[in-house]
Amino acid sequence: MQLIIEAIGFGIATGAVIALGAVGFSVQFGISNILNITYGALMTLSAYIGLVLINHGINAWAALAISAVAVGAVSVIYHRILLAPLVRRGTRAIAMIIVTVSAGTILQYVIVAIAGPSSQSYGEQSGQTFHFLDLTLSFGQVTIIVLTAILMLALHLLLTRTTLGKAMRATSSNRTLARSCGIATSRISDIAWFISGCLCGAAGVALAITTVSFDFSLGALFLIPMIAAAVLGGIGQPYGAMLGGMIIGISSEVAAAVSNPNYKDVVAFVILIIVLLVRPRGLFGAAWSSRRLMEG
Amino acid sequence: MAWEYYLVVMLVYLGTDLLAVWGLNLEFGVAGIANLAYIVVVAAGAYAYAIVTLGPSSGNGGFQTYIGGFTLPFPLALLVGAAAGALVGTLIGLTGLKRLRQDYQGVAMLVVSLMVTTIVSADIGLFNGTAGLALIPNPFSNLDPDTARWAYVALVAVCCLIGFVVLRRFTTGPMGRTLRAMRDDDTAASAAGKDVVRLRLVVQAVGGAFGGLSGALLAGFIGGWSPSAWAYIETLAFLSCIIVGGRGSDLGVSLGTLIIAVLLLQGVQFLPQIASSPGLSEDFGWIILGAATIAFIWFRPQGVLKERRPRYRGESPSKLPG
Amino acid sequence: MALAATGPLLEVDHLEKHYGGVRAVDGISFTVERGSITGLIGPNGAGKSTALAMIGGFVQPSGGRIRFDGVDITGMAMHARARIGLVRTFQMARVFGNLTTLENLLVAAPRQRGERAAGVVGGRRAWRSQEKELVSEAQAMLETFSMAQKANDLAGTLSGGQKRAVEIMRALMMQPKLLLLDEPMAGLSPSLSRHLEDVLLKLADGGLSLLLVEHELETVDKLCGKVVVMAQGKVLSEGRMSELRLSREVQDAYVIG
Repeated sequence: MQLIIEAIGFGIATGAVIALGAVGFSVQFGISNILNITYGALMTLSAYIGLVLINHGINAWAALAISAVAVGAVSVIYHRILLAPLVRRGTRAIAMIIVTVSAGTILQYVIVAIAGPSSQSYGEQSGQTFHFLDLTLSFGQVTIIVLTAILMLALHLLLTRTTLGKAMRATSSNRTLARSCGIATSRISDIAWFISGCLCGAAGVALAITTVSFDFSLGALFLIPMIAAAVLGGIGQPYGAMLGGMIIGISSEVAAAVSNPNYKDVVAFVILIIVLLVRPRGLFGAAWSSRRLMEG
Repeated sequence: MAWEYYLVVMLVYLGTDLLAVWGLNLEFGVAGIANLAYIVVVAAGAYAYAIVTLGPSSGNGGFQTYIGGFTLPFPLALLVGAAAGALVGTLIGLTGLKRLRQDYQGVAMLVVSLMVTTIVSADIGLFNGTAGLALIPNPFSNLDPDTARWAYVALVAVCCLIGFVVLRRFTTGPMGRTLRAMRDDDTAASAAGKDVVRLRLVVQAVGGAFGGLSGALLAGFIGGWSPSAWAYIETLAFLSCIIVGGRGSDLGVSLGTLIIAVLLLQGVQFLPQIASSPGLSEDFGWIILGAATIAFIWFRPQGVLKERRPRYRGESPSKLPG
Repeated sequence: MALAATGPLLEVDHLEKHYGGVRAVDGISFTVERGSITGLIGPNGAGKSTALAMIGGFVQPSGGRIRFDGVDITGMAMHARARIGLVRTFQMARVFGNLTTLENLLVAAPRQRGERAAGVVGGRRAWRSQEKELVSEAQAMLETFSMAQKANDLAGTLSGGQKRAVEIMRALMMQPKLLLLDEPMAGLSPSLSRHLEDVLLKLADGGLSLLLVEHELETVDKLCGKVVVMAQGKVLSEGRMSELRLSREVQDAYVIG
């Protein structure tokens, strides 16, 4: 029992990182209708930017903020100069996937060429630990949980309380209609790709903080739980992705605790396959998004 | 002689890559299935070949563990490899039962690819985990080394020849036409009476058999097979051959295989090595591959050799091919 | 079955479709008789296209039954409906863009030997003779639609009107019993529309049944024997166009809609 409670604590921390990543991924799909696989490599990029900053003596949390903004900027440029023009030229979704996988591969190998293939680490974090009930969490884990909660709340307020957020939701549900209502959809896209890029960057550094060591495949492997969370929540639905991240995080840590830790991602994978076969629109997918996902 | 050894290696790689690219082109270029888990069927063929040709796991001092171990002769083992590819290909194809959007399905298959690598790496009892399998028997090991190498080239050539004949049965004629219609618009294909779900499963089984055979031939030649040989980006390499060469065109993708899989990915190994970072030239190969793929999708989506369609002559002169 | 062959070709019975709380189609019933042209009209958002999509098998109904030629086809897949002679076209013409115009027609032919396992294994010999017949059939059809000179062009390069024609020819290649047409005149020039009207009338004379969703009341008037009027997901009334024009109910629905 103690084992499971501990695993739930770890699961919340893991789930927070997955939620950060999955929400950004989902926002990009919602706004641009692109499944951006480069996302994984951008997380890796963020982790390495963070590494450089930390090696220069910058505090890990400041590094997280700087990396997040940097990856946010890279995301906007990437979408502006490559993805958006391709979509405008009528490139089919099937080819867009290959483009984003290719771009991710390029980025991944540029990182390897510069930083080398060996494992890296952010080094020892503060040894301070926190105890709630029977849970023991490190300072890093607690900070990431709190940080995720703040970012998710901020995103929620942005989407529901501001004109910008409403414009984003309108663009997400029907781009053509939004444009004809006078919404500057390309500017809204830029902002959405910046915000989702920041979440991607934050998730990359957060992931590197919570793992013992990482290498260039950090982001690629994270695609499994992240896509599972986004799909479970109903892809394109930010709130679904938050909940999906928590469910995937907790269930995989609990499964790892009671069985083989190597199979942590298997839980995420099994959930993904079940959702795809039973309810492809996910928990929160509205009818419109399911129609967008089904053919035709 | 060194050059002769390189030549043999290149020819074997060309042959095995051709088989895999043909199979994937049938799926992606002809039938429109973005199978981002294609390398898994190649791996299935390789592992299947390995475990049926190797002796029992306990028999070799226990330095590697695996299931199977039947010491089968190689022609049978190649068939087992192809069958394993077909089986795994069909299983991957089951993700298509729900008729989801093509890119969504592609992502699901990408995740499948990542997942299978993780499981096989983690489970030592299955195929010896990350270390992989070694000492996979070469069918010509009783010949002298030079003859054995060229015998293997001949074996690969025969497989390619048979493969090409089979491939053309699917990519030309009414079958090829129906598959291409499904690629262009699968809803309209259903409305035209085509059972899209069934056709996709068939295509993924056939494409899987090609990949399985490719993997089996590769495992027999190299003598070893491990998860590092089939990372998910290997599928991108095959897709790149197809996009650069000309998706849907059997001749085009064969040319693409020569350019991308052989000249680029093998060629970079002949670049001068930098002692401090030994993997650099290989990284460089992947960067060029990714850039070439994107450049072709942007500038020349039809590839070097465009897919050609049959022309029919009617009675009136206006219908003569122009 | 002998009885079925004399009944209506298509029977729609209390068909429903809900999206969330919205009842797009709310329990409609009507029939299409053999050898007739039936029109389905109504204001925007009346549920015509959803009804047609359910009949064609593109959308699963939430309730009700559909019978075609005496067989219950409610849960049948789209391709299976096409094979028994219930063929649809799309509102936006959908062609196979990387196949030639002629190939677009050939691909639709039913029971092709070259598509089956035996044909694939047997190779060219197994399907050559059938293919030859299909090619001349398709070429003859291209002649009737005055598109013979486009036979070897890729269908993706055709104009909108030509794509519409290809779609209708493709549907005819399938030897349908009932053709479902979703706004076939939309986007066509007036002269092309007239031409298509003549073609459809000729087809109906030849015994083909048509169910037509159409906005243009002139066309409906000219082509359709019976007209079903839908509004807000329900069948408002049905009858001949000339009678319906006088009906207050129908007039109101069109004004309000």
